[in-house]
Amino acid sequence: MTQLTLDINCQMDTFLLSIKQALPLKGITGIYGHSGSGKSTLLRIIAGLNDQAAGQISFNDKKLLDTSSKYFIKAANRQISMVFQDSRLFPHLTVLANLNFAAKRSKGQQLDIDEIIDLTEIKPLLNTPVTKLSGGEQQRVALARAILVEPKLLLLDEPLSALDHASKNCLLSLLVNIEKQLNLPIFYISHSLPELQQVANNLLVLSSGRVQAYGDIHQVIHQLNHFDLTASGQSYQQTSLSLAIKSVDKHHQLVTLALGDNEEIHLPYSNNLIGKLTVSKEVKKIRCFILASDISICLSEPKNSSIVNKLFGKIIDIEQKKCQVLVTVECKRQKFFINISSYSLEKLALKTNLSVYLQFKASAVRSQIN
Amino acid sequence: MITENPDLLALFTTLKMAGLTTIVLLIIGTPLAWYLAKMQSRFKVVIEAFVALPLVLPPTVLGFYLLIAFSPQYLPGQLWQQTTGQQLAFSFSAIVIGSVLYSLPFVVQPLQKAFEQLGDNLIEAGAMLGAGPIDRFFTIVMPLTKASFITAASLGFAHTVGEFGVILMIGGNIPGETRVLSIALFDHVEAFNYAKAHVLAGSLLLASMVLLSLIYLLNHPEKLKVKKIKGAKK
Repeated sequence: MTQLTLDINCQMDTFLLSIKQALPLKGITGIYGHSGSGKSTLLRIIAGLNDQAAGQISFNDKKLLDTSSKYFIKAANRQISMVFQDSRLFPHLTVLANLNFAAKRSKGQQLDIDEIIDLTEIKPLLNTPVTKLSGGEQQRVALARAILVEPKLLLLDEPLSALDHASKNCLLSLLVNIEKQLNLPIFYISHSLPELQQVANNLLVLSSGRVQAYGDIHQVIHQLNHFDLTASGQSYQQTSLSLAIKSVDKHHQLVTLALGDNEEIHLPYSNNLIGKLTVSKEVKKIRCFILASDISICLSEPKNSSIVNKLFGKIIDIEQKKCQVLVTVECKRQKFFINISSYSLEKLALKTNLSVYLQFKASAVRSQIN
Repeated sequence: MITENPDLLALFTTLKMAGLTTIVLLIIGTPLAWYLAKMQSRFKVVIEAFVALPLVLPPTVLGFYLLIAFSPQYLPGQLWQQTTGQQLAFSFSAIVIGSVLYSLPFVVQPLQKAFEQLGDNLIEAGAMLGAGPIDRFFTIVMPLTKASFITAASLGFAHTVGEFGVILMIGGNIPGETRVLSIALFDHVEAFNYAKAHVLAGSLLLASMVLLSLIYLLNHPEKLKVKKIKGAKK
């Protein structure tokens, strides 16, 4: 499998960025961490925009950097493209001229510019001065421009951070489509876990310049549940799922997902579902997540409740930090994470291997960022 | 016909000198300004001070040192004589070289400021689209700093036209070679030919005023537009 191999050190203001990791060049790789964890620096080192790093980087067998032999391929020659947080469109050119700037310098000449214009839905903007575009439009153009140079790897440095929710959801769907249609590996930086949860296949977590975790998106998100992430003031302890659609009830605006053979999870139907449920019939699976604080535990089967989601499982782990308890329940080989108070833990006398019922509202199953 | 009228000949020499000086200044001044805008070395201050020297030095000081350097006794003058077979001091080439040094800050400073203001963001974006350094300079930097290039060229040109002290020191007063307008004017005044002096002085004043107005117009087009709209409402 093709991969990007990193073995680099780079002195930052307060810590040493030190990363030794092989990243497969397939699908979307999310790079997550708090502000100042070294995410952007890592991306700039891969792109060749930061030449302060020492070590080796190779793209498959091709060396991009090897400071031991003073080897450094310049950014413009790496065939790696990047979309920045601020779109960085050229203000002296129209949208179309911005796209042509990239298309002219493409090494591949395989892509049809009209196809990319359609894919990114920017046809009505082509002759607009870039200064007149909205934030979301600017990022769609920047994305189209970065694709048109036909890179072998696309880097995205928090491309959605300046956008409103609607634009974010729209661009996330677009990203998934781009990755699928063009088979273009993408490294996606974000400090928003919900964003990454929706699109990334793999997740790399950075903390103070070191790799804290790396692997399959759902697994890494579940690993993060056990780390102390409260430093940011926000807890993202959650159950991350990717499940097949079983049925869509348009009358009640409810989507049903299959968990194992006979369990179901229901969530509200929305036009903004990432992956465009309404347009494409190819989307068979839906990414969703349930915050640990949105699930409750019952010892007996709950009946006559308005809460539509009810699962039966077994407690496999209980982790207590002061008054906060994180309970892990396995149901149909899927782990669920539940936050309860130490009071409830004692009251229900919960312990591992105990069978319990989980309850959560359909609206607690989130399948878009908001 | 030009050669028959000494003042027209002086005008022609002046335009030729200023035009050539401006071209040379843009060719040397652009990379120098880029270097100063991007470099972070300690030497930067020294180079900046050197570039700015003509702003504070009396032109005669610069002219004096150049006169010595250009004379056949010293290396620059010698080298010039060996390669071209002609003496450098009191030649047209001498006043062009002198003007380049004399007008250097007027070209380098606006360009340096423009490059600094432009920053690295768009240049990085260009690199990410596969554009090399030269490509990026001509397709991104130059179009976005066009106004500063026009300002730099106009200021360089205008300042060279107004030069007097340096030329007097290193060029002398050779018609068709080094006799420029400012020197012709000085001649007329010395000869009490005030009528001719008035024509030269007046035209120089008018031409400079027009040129400078054009530069400021180019730099503040939006302000003028606002005024026009306000006027229309009244």
